[in-house]
Amino acid sequence: MTMPVVNNAPNRIYVRDRRFGWLLTMPGLALLLLVIAFPVLWALFTSLFEYTLINPGFHTYVGAGNYAKALGDPEFLHSIWVTAMFVVAVVVLEFVLGFLIALMLNDTERGKDLYYAILLCPLLMNPVVVGLIWRMFLHPSLGIVNYLLGRVGIAPVNWLGSVDVAFWTIVMVDIWHQVSFMIVLLLAGLAALPREPYEAARVDGASSLQCFWHITLPLMRPVIVVTLLIRMIFAVKTYDLVYIMTRGGPGVATDFISYFIYRSAFVGLDLGEASAMSGILLVIVVAMTAYLHRSMRAIS
Amino acid sequence: MAAIELRAVTKTYANVVSAVRNVDLTIGDGEFMVFLGPSGCGKSTTLRMIAGLEDITSGDLFVDGVRMNDVDPSKRDLAIVFQNYALYPHMSVRENLAFGLKLRHLERAEIARRIDDISAMLGIGPMLDRRPAQLSGGQRQRVALGRALVREPKAFLLDEPLSNLDAKLRATMRTELIKLHRRLGATMIHVTHDQVEAMTMGERICIMRDGEVVQVGRPLDVYRNPADTFVAGFLATPPMNLLSGRLEAQGDQLFAVTEGFRCALPPAYRQAYASHAGRQVIIGLRPEDFHETPDRAGALGGLPVTLTVTTVEALGPETVLMASLKGDAGPEIAVRVDFDREYEVGARVTLHYDTAQIHIFDVETTKALARPVVPAG
Repeated sequence: MTMPVVNNAPNRIYVRDRRFGWLLTMPGLALLLLVIAFPVLWALFTSLFEYTLINPGFHTYVGAGNYAKALGDPEFLHSIWVTAMFVVAVVVLEFVLGFLIALMLNDTERGKDLYYAILLCPLLMNPVVVGLIWRMFLHPSLGIVNYLLGRVGIAPVNWLGSVDVAFWTIVMVDIWHQVSFMIVLLLAGLAALPREPYEAARVDGASSLQCFWHITLPLMRPVIVVTLLIRMIFAVKTYDLVYIMTRGGPGVATDFISYFIYRSAFVGLDLGEASAMSGILLVIVVAMTAYLHRSMRAIS
Repeated sequence: MAAIELRAVTKTYANVVSAVRNVDLTIGDGEFMVFLGPSGCGKSTTLRMIAGLEDITSGDLFVDGVRMNDVDPSKRDLAIVFQNYALYPHMSVRENLAFGLKLRHLERAEIARRIDDISAMLGIGPMLDRRPAQLSGGQRQRVALGRALVREPKAFLLDEPLSNLDAKLRATMRTELIKLHRRLGATMIHVTHDQVEAMTMGERICIMRDGEVVQVGRPLDVYRNPADTFVAGFLATPPMNLLSGRLEAQGDQLFAVTEGFRCALPPAYRQAYASHAGRQVIIGLRPEDFHETPDRAGALGGLPVTLTVTTVEALGPETVLMASLKGDAGPEIAVRVDFDREYEVGARVTLHYDTAQIHIFDVETTKALARPVVPAG
């Protein structure tokens, strides 16, 4: 009887390839651990101690004390509320505006590339640059916006100094900066929609509005969900614009959570509580990311 | 139901590319018309112009005598079945069927009644709550058909609805569509590039090429009397053998001559073809007009033709031979013979050609030379 010849060569190649793969991955992985995992773990560890920059060190373990203190702090809760309002405002307005522009661009045949180039300009700019430009545009006495308003007889507006106006000014600047993101993603979704259901709907008797309602919106739902979630995650973390334009003011009108945490850590010097707040923000963002990931998996 | 008339209908893209040119065609009330042609011949564009999905560049379209050029597709009361079905992917089968009816504000009870009737007719009742993605190709095709039927439109436009189905299912659906047309008596325009579909389904077929109508007629009329070499070569599998040759007069006889083939034309044709004597022509020989015995080769007894077999395709009910007319060097033709005799490659066989079935085409215009109709032997 002849014994079958067992060939171990494929296994050896597999093990060698795996080892080589790990070898290639190691430097990147080590860098990621150093710059991402270590700070996150350090912050989470710090959040369990009474750690201030006046008295740095892990001397007093407080457990969840910093978390309880943060959640009981009306200013922190206010910053969560302001951030939530900001997120809802920018995401809703950017979505409506972005979808409208995407729908128009989707039907445009000529000059699409030019529109793209113009629309992408703000998105390519650094938020700090955006903040600086708009701070100059919106300067109460020297800014071009008030100058133009004055030319048509409208009284100057204190865009960044008025409690009632500053929040919406930040919203407006964020929309200017980020709406292209919505447009690009939604336009990609619209361009990928099949043409045939629209033709079938037209022959079935549907008007343009009915086509939009019954065909476009349902078919775009997965793209819309992903776009909204990505935008929400980024909006929750907004920091640069506030830092450059208002420093959370006037009063606490634009005191978003990221800026509030920064202030707690580097103005209030309470690194322990600031780390606990960062932990809470991390939970919010991770929850949203997990939902986004699930949505994307469902789409694929 | 509706009669559809196209008068000099032309479609030009970007003022340059002419997709359809001067189509004049009348489709009778309740008629099953098939648009047949190769890819890019303009048949689907013509159908889409009738549906209103493409603008008509020039010419007129009438449905029941009413000019439809500027009428929105939603107002034409026509239904279309697309090649890839174009079902609404986010809706269930029931919702797909109901969509057009809801847009027309029909009563709920009426919508339910129509869906029940159509789903019973097409056998899609058990899948009413499924989404299109959960259906097979054949089931989707039925749903697409159902969506058209449930609206009870004036006419049905079918844009290659069977082309995505496998051969067996296509044959089944072909029969079902024929039965459906008989049952409904509806006007149907069916677009296809499959000549078997055209021959079996259409009451008339309209053959198109390069945006123009080449020939319109009943399937067998078109098959027996192709207007030109394109139609002759497009219909039937294997198609007509088209050979370069000439007409030679000898005494009072006229011969169609090509390498390895010399056929005395039937007396009835001589007068019709006499003016072409001495000229180059294209000789058309259908593969099925070659017979194994002279008694089956028509009233004239048939012309013995000796062929050298180059390939044998045994298809079951019949055998198709590729054979050269003059040893290995002569032109190769296809002949269709009975299945019950075995042929070997390289063998020399003598078959009998039914000379009454010969077709002669003008070498320059490629049009068929007119001749009197001689009944098949």
